[in-house]
Amino acid sequence: MKKILFSFSLLLLFNLAKAQDLVKKIPANAFTVATIKGDNIFKLMFVKDFNESFVGKKLLEGTSKSLDKNFTTIEDFGINLDKNMYYFNQLTDSITYNCFLIPLKDAAKFESLINNKDSKIKTTGDTKTMVLPDSTSIIKWNNNMMYFVTGSIKGSFFADSAKSARYGIKDIRFQQDEATMVDGAAVAVDSAYVTTTDEPVVETAVAPPVKVKVKQKTALKKTNKKTTGKKKATRKKAAIKPKQEPEEEIADAAMDAAEAIPAAETVNAQYDLYQQERAEQEAKKKRLAFTWMTAQAEQIFNGNYESIENNKSYTNSLDSKAIAELWVSSLQDVYNAVAPEFGTYGKAGLMKGYGSLNAKLFMDNKSFRISTGLELAQEQADSYKKIMNKKLNKNFLKYVNSDKAIGFMSYAIDTKAYLEEFPKLMKQTYGSFLGGRMDEEMDLGADLLSLLLDEEAVSKVIKGDALFVINGLNTKDVTYTTYDYDDDYKQKEVVKTKKETLPDFLFMFSSDDTRLINKLIKYGVNKNFVSADGNIYKIIEKKSPIDIYFLIKDGIVFFGNSLTEIQAINSNQLNNTISKTHKNLLSKNNFSFLFNAKNLVGKVPASEIGGEETAKKFNSTLEKMGNVYMKSNPIKGRLVSADISAEIPNGHENALKYLFSLIENAAK
Amino acid sequence: MRLNQCYKLIFFIALLPFLSSCFEVIEEISMKNDGTGDVVLTINLSQSKTKIASVMLLDSVQGYKVPSKQKIQQELNEAVAYLKKSEGISNVKSTSDFNNFIATISFSFKDVSNINNITKNILAQQKIKATNTSSYTYNKATKTFSRKYQAIGTAKTEFNKLKSKDKAVFNGATYTSIYRFESLVTSSTNPASNVSKSKKAVMLKSTITDLINGKINVSNSIQLAK
Repeated sequence: MKKILFSFSLLLLFNLAKAQDLVKKIPANAFTVATIKGDNIFKLMFVKDFNESFVGKKLLEGTSKSLDKNFTTIEDFGINLDKNMYYFNQLTDSITYNCFLIPLKDAAKFESLINNKDSKIKTTGDTKTMVLPDSTSIIKWNNNMMYFVTGSIKGSFFADSAKSARYGIKDIRFQQDEATMVDGAAVAVDSAYVTTTDEPVVETAVAPPVKVKVKQKTALKKTNKKTTGKKKATRKKAAIKPKQEPEEEIADAAMDAAEAIPAAETVNAQYDLYQQERAEQEAKKKRLAFTWMTAQAEQIFNGNYESIENNKSYTNSLDSKAIAELWVSSLQDVYNAVAPEFGTYGKAGLMKGYGSLNAKLFMDNKSFRISTGLELAQEQADSYKKIMNKKLNKNFLKYVNSDKAIGFMSYAIDTKAYLEEFPKLMKQTYGSFLGGRMDEEMDLGADLLSLLLDEEAVSKVIKGDALFVINGLNTKDVTYTTYDYDDDYKQKEVVKTKKETLPDFLFMFSSDDTRLINKLIKYGVNKNFVSADGNIYKIIEKKSPIDIYFLIKDGIVFFGNSLTEIQAINSNQLNNTISKTHKNLLSKNNFSFLFNAKNLVGKVPASEIGGEETAKKFNSTLEKMGNVYMKSNPIKGRLVSADISAEIPNGHENALKYLFSLIENAAK
Repeated sequence: MRLNQCYKLIFFIALLPFLSSCFEVIEEISMKNDGTGDVVLTINLSQSKTKIASVMLLDSVQGYKVPSKQKIQQELNEAVAYLKKSEGISNVKSTSDFNNFIATISFSFKDVSNINNITKNILAQQKIKATNTSSYTYNKATKTFSRKYQAIGTAKTEFNKLKSKDKAVFNGATYTSIYRFESLVTSSTNPASNVSKSKKAVMLKSTITDLINGKINVSNSIQLAK
């Protein structure tokens, strides 16, 4: 019995501990969720170190100053730094909620942080609520969590008069009253005073004021009618009624004044009226938003509902080692949600087929890493898989010199699959953009393309993989023109040479069928664009600052600007060693990128950078940088992902501390 | 971004930090005893032609838009047209070499005061504020040739506002002025100037940075033998 009780209490404890994670409060229909993992962050840097760091000090000083209090440690904020903090948002067709869920350690400290004389705190049992002065945000908290929500009304929702009428809100446009005017006479009046500003008009100007008055009354009557229809009518009506009277008075005063003045001034008065009505409607919208927000906050804080923990897409995107994570439920849905705001330019469907997006930030004692992933619809994922079904030509690895390489970039795709899938992908993305009217045409176009292109043949000429590598810097002798002066200071043009440092680049791609390329070369030689020297060809381009050589060998076409390197390739005299990391980076991924800053240090002469001082700064920045990598990962299921990571240089405990020191240096 | 554009960009990024360039600006004025003369203005960028050729392949660099060859030629033509209309200026010619990046403008003047404000006005047409004003005078009677140079204070502050990598573009840039005369030169007031062995020409060399900073003033008063 004891055992059972004991294990039961353990279970409870575990659940409690887990239950403390605020993720359970995030609703399942949240659109975007961002997480900051307090425990992972403060594993990298102790609270004490943070408080004493440049960034921490600035934060504490800034907050102390703006709130007129004295904070010495971020623990004074009352936030539980060992738990996760969340941001999420919810989209509806009428309002967007932006919400923060922050775990609290010490509610009293938190309260003293936000306490100010302008806002009152309402207490209901364990829960305290504070409304921010302009009523656009609400904060609710209890002893272990804080919830902040701000809502923004979607303009496009209320632009639809049917929808807005439901809430008693009008879409006010300037001189709209003319359009909605039942009284035909008024229309005639308008056309009258729009004409000219000479004598006759001044006389008829007397008429408009009268009409405007009438307009006014009907307008007001309308608002009145609408508000009675609403559920919360009583509150609103009371609020509106007092507003009406002063408005009427102002309006009447305006009218009386207008009686004596010409047409232009009447327009001014009308504009003022428009401003007033508009302000009134905006205030109504705000109140509506506030009502909705209050309900939502109450729901989140105290209600029971399905949490996002049940959303597989979200849970699959998590990684316990990350320090920050971002998850967007569906790019397609996000785009469709915001598209109406763009009006006619936001045609739905541009993001069709793109599902959830996630990004994670990792920092450890060796590097920063951002890992991103995107879910594709099945059809797109299948296309993608076919296109990415190719690995880099292993022979390329012979041409990377890891000791001297400053950087490289590679890609590998299956050309045949790409050409075959391309029309399909285009149709999916742009077909709906064109409104589905062009479906037939796009199909025809795709078929024609397929007919004309022999995908198989093209893919033999250009297999689809390529590598670009900068294997070092080299100096070259360059001529330039300058002037010498004789004893008479007469100018004489002379040609001198100087050394210039240029990167040695090499670009290669695989080709199984070089007949076309050979033909092009022959053509080039005949037309003197190209000069040949055995197997090595040089492109004769006077305007180019650099010489470009190319060579075809072993099914690979090479382009490069270093004759020595191309010659070495030709005669198999290359002596390159490639490091394991580089080998893995290149051979395991479809796309990869590397920048090795260290190999650039000291290689550029000071005179070319702009003097000793700049050179020193340049070199020291490079030395401090580690390698920067980017790579795409093989597709898993329907998820495509890519990573970018930057190594931190020696001398820093971990990436977070390194980042802080970078910020400190930049601020100096 | 299309792939080859991408590669071009990568290649150029490698070159970016090295964008200090050496270029020369040369101003030659040949004065005749009767007060007429010729002017040849040269800008020679050939020491940096590799970098410039690469820059011209791009759309913009370091935040500034790169003009196309046609645009540069067009601006040159506009300057020539402006000169042709100027009072006292005749025989205007221009050359441009886009392989070595050298451009020259030459013209003759009736009186050296005709060339005052030429540079300022040409630059103003291009909406560039001139960094200085120069006024040239030649007194036929006393055979004194003088140039009064005044740097515009704002030029220095504007220059200092530039980012250091933008300022670096002017490292190694030089300005040379050569004045040639029919009579012998007896004195030249500017200490930085040199009189030729033949005593018929006066040369002054300065770095452009010194000019902008006001470290060197190219005002000069040259006395010719009677």
